Amino acid sequence: MSTAAAPVAAPHHEHHEMSFVRKYIFSTDHKIIGIQFLFLSLVFLLVGGLLAMTIRWQLGFPGRPLPMGGLFPQTMAPNGIILPEFYNALVTMHGTFMVFFAIMPLLVGVFANYLIPLKIGAPDMAFPSLNMWSFWLMIPAGTLMVAGFFVEGGASSAGWTGYAPLSADPEYTGVSTGQVLWCLSLIVFALSSLLGSLNYITTVINLRAPGMTWFRMPLSVWALFITAILGILAIPILAGALIMLMFDQTIGTHFFLSASGGQPLLWQHLFWFFGHPEVYILILPAMGITSDVIANGSRKPIFGYHSMVYAIIAIAFLGWLVWGHHMFQSGMNPRLGTTFMISTMVIAVPSAVKVFNWLGTMWKGDLHLHTPMLNAVAFVAMFIIGGLSGIFMANTPVDIYIHDTYFIVAHLHYVLFGGSLFAIFAGIYFWFPKMFGKMMNETLGKIHFWLTFVFYNLVFFPMHLLGMGGHMRRIYDPNQYEFLQPLAPMNKFVSISAFLLGLSQLPFMFNFLWSLVKGKKADINPWRDNGLEWTVPSPPPHGNFAHTPTVYHGPYEFSHPQAAEDFLPQNQPLPAAPPPPEPGTARQETR
Amino acid sequence: MAEAFERKHPNYVAVWIGLAVLTAIEVGIVYFGLTRKFLILALMLLAVWKALLVALYFMHLKFEPKRLLIIVLIPLPLALILVAFVLQEYGR
Amino acid sequence: MAHAATVHPHPEHAPGQGQVGVYTQKLGMWIFLCSEVMFFTALIGSYIILRWGSLDVWPKPQGVLNIPLTALNTFILICSSVSMVKAFASITHGDQAGLKKWLVVTCFGGAFFVSVQAYEYWHLSHEGFVPGGFVEGSELFRRALEGHIAGATGGAIVPAAANLFGSTFYTMTGFHGFHVTCGVVCMIWVTIKAFRGGYTQTGYHGVEVVGLYWHFVDLVWIILFTIVYLF
Repeated sequence: MSTAAAPVAAPHHEHHEMSFVRKYIFSTDHKIIGIQFLFLSLVFLLVGGLLAMTIRWQLGFPGRPLPMGGLFPQTMAPNGIILPEFYNALVTMHGTFMVFFAIMPLLVGVFANYLIPLKIGAPDMAFPSLNMWSFWLMIPAGTLMVAGFFVEGGASSAGWTGYAPLSADPEYTGVSTGQVLWCLSLIVFALSSLLGSLNYITTVINLRAPGMTWFRMPLSVWALFITAILGILAIPILAGALIMLMFDQTIGTHFFLSASGGQPLLWQHLFWFFGHPEVYILILPAMGITSDVIANGSRKPIFGYHSMVYAIIAIAFLGWLVWGHHMFQSGMNPRLGTTFMISTMVIAVPSAVKVFNWLGTMWKGDLHLHTPMLNAVAFVAMFIIGGLSGIFMANTPVDIYIHDTYFIVAHLHYVLFGGSLFAIFAGIYFWFPKMFGKMMNETLGKIHFWLTFVFYNLVFFPMHLLGMGGHMRRIYDPNQYEFLQPLAPMNKFVSISAFLLGLSQLPFMFNFLWSLVKGKKADINPWRDNGLEWTVPSPPPHGNFAHTPTVYHGPYEFSHPQAAEDFLPQNQPLPAAPPPPEPGTARQETR
Repeated sequence: MAEAFERKHPNYVAVWIGLAVLTAIEVGIVYFGLTRKFLILALMLLAVWKALLVALYFMHLKFEPKRLLIIVLIPLPLALILVAFVLQEYGR
Repeated sequence: MAHAATVHPHPEHAPGQGQVGVYTQKLGMWIFLCSEVMFFTALIGSYIILRWGSLDVWPKPQGVLNIPLTALNTFILICSSVSMVKAFASITHGDQAGLKKWLVVTCFGGAFFVSVQAYEYWHLSHEGFVPGGFVEGSELFRRALEGHIAGATGGAIVPAAANLFGSTFYTMTGFHGFHVTCGVVCMIWVTIKAFRGGYTQTGYHGVEVVGLYWHFVDLVWIILFTIVYLF
């Protein structure tokens, strides 16, 4: 617990030259930390994606040897044929890596770290040293998780949700050390996440520049702030549950082992009490980024800014009351089922408000369909689909049929990929120039977008149909069931689309890496945006602002009638209002 | 919204005596032979009273801005919801 | 509770608008403590749920655990909370000697608490009470069986509840003890800094912030002692 006072508002720094290691490796600068998160999480996104390709191989071509399958050890895929036990590990680790090591760090670790101080006019986070720890803890966390693949018994195989007693007793999965490593890794991850959230909350409350009132903050900052609050309250629950699970696995406790008096449902309640706020952690920052990018790409203020803020708060608040909808078929008290059904349907309302507001923002806007904007618009469209499928699941009687089928898999991928990942792409394309001082290639960006969009839908839309056909989740060989055999061609179609989806990421990878070195030099404000980050050089210097900025208005003053340009940075005062019309003259057009 | 210039210090010794007395009462009533229900109720009341003394006086919440108090209270309803809902699994 | 208001100068840095009104390190510590409340909610909430939901009777804590020793330990921890707040009061008065004295007392109080807990764990596990429950035929199992609280089933303890008693007891008190240990380490660090003249009448935020953590750890124990040892 460091009590060393962090210089809170002082833009001055030691002028002696910091070593390369202090400046770029063990840096306390939020921008460097954000970029470190970016590189690390993109690597894990790739890992998660490769795991998905392997899963799709098994589902599309069950029992056929993997290409290059000879590289896999005998314990995983003898002669390249994936073993059922390895399949369980694949499914578990795909979910785990994607949720905890890709999407969360990409949305929160990258954008909260990079954007918050810049967008509120602060020189850095409230606790820069803690921030550094937040990143570096991800290294042991990630190492422990990857290590699972290399220990006897293999990696965790109880699903990313780790239901007990499957996860608590090695007798059920054949995995012992791997399960413990999974728990340990996530506990370290939880600590990293908590330190980050602590920083974001304190920074937003206390370090805003003069004039940056709550209702002048960009929606990306609002979303990240509320997300951090969700994190600080929900992640400790996960940590507690993981500790109890780990104790069941190692020191002989019986929290979740029914054979010795424990309660398996307790795990589910604890996990989902964390897990539902967690999914809002996975979507709210994406919504915030989308708002910023759509306003920019429409050259219009966000429609209904205040209601957007209240909707974020409502989603976060209601998110605590819906966790049981993941447990409708668990055997929990049916009275709870009714309660959760109602609360889950209510939470659709603020999300719908946001969707309509994005559409309202684009309506009659001067649309600039640059790559970030394309990705942001895709977010809205895919989120609508994902949200609508959610309404079906919210209904307990319907869920009896679709729970644990591919209908759920379709839903979660529509919101996590169609939603979060497209928003992440939008954010990367949008803020890359600021981060690295170089532009990404626009043509490659558009190619990446369209290929991804098309193949993504070809992969995940059919999963709704698979699910309604009764195709269950996490199943190694669907063809063992006669009623699923007619679905085999659809599985094959989905798998081939998935491989093409994977290949479609190559333009992005190339574009990203190439532009880092050879990209066109970026201007200070290439997107003609209003945020405070666009008032400082690309990339910004240590300390961000030479002088603390003063904020005069909200972040979405696009196409202001009296402004010279179609944008108006927050640190420039609003232009003077026109004089009122003389009585008897024609009425002026009102805004 | 500047922090209070005056550092109000309550009588810490008085609070300490209060805590000691409450602890002694807590331990004492366990051996009184009360009915189970009353014992639980009394113990909960005493524990909450002690916790409030520590929070309000030692942790100075009584003298901090109201906004901080609101922030600090937020986890409590969540804790209550979790326990109350899950207890529904046991229909007793 | 009567309190004497003592007024001290407290310099301010320019506060922004819409803030909570406390300095950044204190705000940060309080938010961290909110996360700690949620962490202990998971552990303590699970205990409440498992115990309430247990069809079998629960062993009577008084038969298994050493109530007098733990009551003394509770008192010592409370005393260390008082010494902590007196250390804080001292430095707000500019009293360096008082700060150092009371910080040292707090360190000793915390160390005492952890030592007694360690002894308690050692003694209990030697007498047959471990995280997995009770060791068959052990002294504590015998005492647990005879001192049971009659429950819904009316009968004697069956192993399940005994198991859960072990699981919940060790996890809750263990993690509390872990938090106290971390607190003692930080307290030692702050004490050393105080001896080096690191705190002044206008620069004492570190003392206040570590104090908040310390009081929180005391607060959690107040709850744990009641619901684990006395219920």
